[in-house]
Amino acid sequence: MAEMLHLSVTSGSDSSALSDQSASSRVGNRSLRVAEKERRKNEAEDPFVAALKYFSDVEAGTPVVGNDDFENNLVLVEKVAYSRGLHPEAISIMLEFAMSLRMGTTPCVRILKCLIPASVVPQEAVVRAWVWLTVGKIPTSTQILFIKWVLTVFDMIDGKDHLRAVYGFIFSFVTDENLSPFICHVLYLLTRKESVRVFRVRKLLELQLKLGRQPYLLHLLSLYKVFCPELVTLSIPSRLRSGFKNHNNPWKSALSAVQKRNGCQVPSSTSLLFTNKDKTASRKRKHRHLELPALRSVTIQMDQTASSSISSNSRMVVPLVQVHSFAELLENIHRIELPAQMGSLLGSSLALQYLDCVQDESALLRLNFWLGFALHEEFLFCGDGASQTSEEALLFLNKLLSTQHFLQEGFFSSEAFLYKFLNFWDGSLFRPQILDLLSNIPVVPSTKIGQLLFEPLMQLFFTSSLFFKCGLMECLNSMLLKWLTWHSVYALEDDLDISLNSHTSINMTLSGFKDSVMKLIHFVGRLASVGLQLEGCHSVLLSFILDFYETVCDTFLKYGLPLVVVPPPGVFYPALMATDPVSVDRLAYIMHRYKVNLMSAKTQEKVTEAFYISRQTIREFNHYMVVMVNCLWNSKMFHPGMGVQLGEELLLRSNVAQHWRSFDLIHHPAFLSYAVDFHQRCWPARRDMDLNSIKLAKPWSWYLEYLYSQGYDGLKQIVPAH
Amino acid sequence: MKVGDLSVYIDMSLLKPFSKLPALNAATILLVEREERFQQNLADALVGDTTVTVNVRLAKSLPLPMDNEESRPRIDLVVFIINLTSELSLKSAEASLKYLDPGYFLGKVCFLATNARNTSVPTERLDAMRKLAASLHCPLLFAEDQTPDGVNSATERLLTVLKVAAGLVPTATALYLSSLTRCTIPPDIDQPSFE
Repeated sequence: MAEMLHLSVTSGSDSSALSDQSASSRVGNRSLRVAEKERRKNEAEDPFVAALKYFSDVEAGTPVVGNDDFENNLVLVEKVAYSRGLHPEAISIMLEFAMSLRMGTTPCVRILKCLIPASVVPQEAVVRAWVWLTVGKIPTSTQILFIKWVLTVFDMIDGKDHLRAVYGFIFSFVTDENLSPFICHVLYLLTRKESVRVFRVRKLLELQLKLGRQPYLLHLLSLYKVFCPELVTLSIPSRLRSGFKNHNNPWKSALSAVQKRNGCQVPSSTSLLFTNKDKTASRKRKHRHLELPALRSVTIQMDQTASSSISSNSRMVVPLVQVHSFAELLENIHRIELPAQMGSLLGSSLALQYLDCVQDESALLRLNFWLGFALHEEFLFCGDGASQTSEEALLFLNKLLSTQHFLQEGFFSSEAFLYKFLNFWDGSLFRPQILDLLSNIPVVPSTKIGQLLFEPLMQLFFTSSLFFKCGLMECLNSMLLKWLTWHSVYALEDDLDISLNSHTSINMTLSGFKDSVMKLIHFVGRLASVGLQLEGCHSVLLSFILDFYETVCDTFLKYGLPLVVVPPPGVFYPALMATDPVSVDRLAYIMHRYKVNLMSAKTQEKVTEAFYISRQTIREFNHYMVVMVNCLWNSKMFHPGMGVQLGEELLLRSNVAQHWRSFDLIHHPAFLSYAVDFHQRCWPARRDMDLNSIKLAKPWSWYLEYLYSQGYDGLKQIVPAH
Repeated sequence: MKVGDLSVYIDMSLLKPFSKLPALNAATILLVEREERFQQNLADALVGDTTVTVNVRLAKSLPLPMDNEESRPRIDLVVFIINLTSELSLKSAEASLKYLDPGYFLGKVCFLATNARNTSVPTERLDAMRKLAASLHCPLLFAEDQTPDGVNSATERLLTVLKVAAGLVPTATALYLSSLTRCTIPPDIDQPSFE
């Protein structure tokens, strides 16, 4: 304030605006120097600074009892801490003082409790404090308090690299029974792939033998398993009840108050990863995971100085939240620090872009891990079912879906969740979301696909309504589309080995992939045949089924997958006999595409022997083609050798005249109205209608032209008009 | 007790699928639930279907009382509603099963489990439930009984099965449908992501 006033003096503004204090310094440079001096003097006299100086300089062994200096200074620090929070330097000083036990163990707890950071916590201070943990004789309860404090302010620590450097050191505390739960939590937050070592796994397993299957050990082990599945052979129970507990009690309210006052809207670490709210709040715990934690900033001031500090300090990491544009992301991509709560990534498109471009698997692994537990806890393992359709759950699923669409691939944790959920699903709970998630799952190995996917889906399909049947058909079509797209994107040119997913290292051979796709197509064929039968060939269901076969018929040309699967008779004949012309036309289009695919495959076969199409497939296709053309164009329905055969006697008994004509393009139930219309236009004067006269050479070609002009391009492609 | 007495006793109490003639364009469903909580809701929703006449009979357990045996219509589908949070619920259903004629197990019995996603359901009970349904070749449906949507969905699915079981769908029989929907024991898919 004083400085500003002096500057206004030198610029010669109205002197009456000056206050009395600055009256002594009316001339430019001199006044500035004086002001600076004064400011320093004030600072030196600032009791808070003096208090900090006391704590950094006080000699070891100074008594606490009856020490007024100590008491006054500490009260002052506490006051500042609870009102504004302590700046990084103050945190360092106070932490150092407390942990070094310079004045014994008594003040330690009191100081730890008032360590409310205003902005960041310097990681050097934390590392030093860890070291003090082994040097001094700190009582266990205080040690635990310190670790709880670290957990609470974890996201405010300005860097994690030095902490990670002492990972092994921190790990050594794990054998201490009292500290173990908290140490495991810290390790959980610090663990990276390179920290998972055989000897550590062995140590944890040993501990587990000694202490029993403790949830905190299991959590850490399961994270290890995520990173290095080959090292941890232990099977982790799917129903891990409690996660890591929330340890922020002593600091929670003070921290959020300080942050609110300092203008930080988001409350700090009130919900660390896998936190359980207190038992008393257990009734509210239903959707605790579903609130996506917001990407939280480490500091407030750092936002403004971020760029300068980044350039000056090369080891400085940049928390994702401080990155505001794609350009900034690119600039800092090598030193991005991920937040402790991976769930927060779902809400930020920049974070997703980061996930997408870095090849670091650990970020995705952590995200998957978080997601797997969140989904499991909320949808498979919930307190009571009352609030299941709640807004939050819907929002969460939608957020997850938009993330998956953004990344254009599914998370394997949501895949694992779905396999379980399908076994409990009533077919209506979150139907759109669940079906959408289902269509995102990556290719399932053909040996497992039956049990994981087909069996639960079959039960659901056949017991559910027509609406559900259509929904599932659409979902399976989109699943197939995605699989085929993955194949065409990720297939390596020197065939056979394709990596299906850029992030998870699932490798699948081309033949394995083909097996899975084939199984899926056969499965849908079965659902479709029986579904049409049960629903009386409902035309809406038929339409969804034809959608699916529009994908299937083009697998070779559109997606480069050497595979041709023709539809089963249970789909072909209902479509051929359908009462709506659109279905018949679409079937014709599909058959045309099959023809184009097969012919192109044939020519390729001659050149490269890329793949061998089974004679059976070609025979089936030819048969369908003959049936279709004979039935619609040549009026040879029920002739020997056609798909639909009826005994001669039976046909005679039916009293249908010229029964072989009853499904040609004139008499087919789907096209009859067109024939009548055509007849009226062609011979407007005729009184009695004789549809058979259309079959004469001239009118027949006009009739075909007329039909094709109505938009039935599929038919046109099978038999072009002359 | 003499053997003859026993056979008479069993004959009297067994519920048989084909001992009576069906009514025209009607289907009868029997909902068996020990707690008698969900069945009333379900019954109200079931009779709302307008395409066929649906008769709903409620029971706490089997055997059914003999006194109204005469007036009771032919029962096309027996549904056991099992609340998975209660061991008794499962046990009671298990005990009731033996009062059904074997003919019912050709597609005219269905299990409807509620609260399957609840924390307090032990895995063992869930497995026992699945094993029971699988061993009898019956479908096992899951229902969300707490929400209106869940009740509607359960109703729709039961109607789908009921219409086939009552012979109202000309293209399918109860046995055919049950061969498609029977419960299978899912593999242990705990944490497949870690494999």
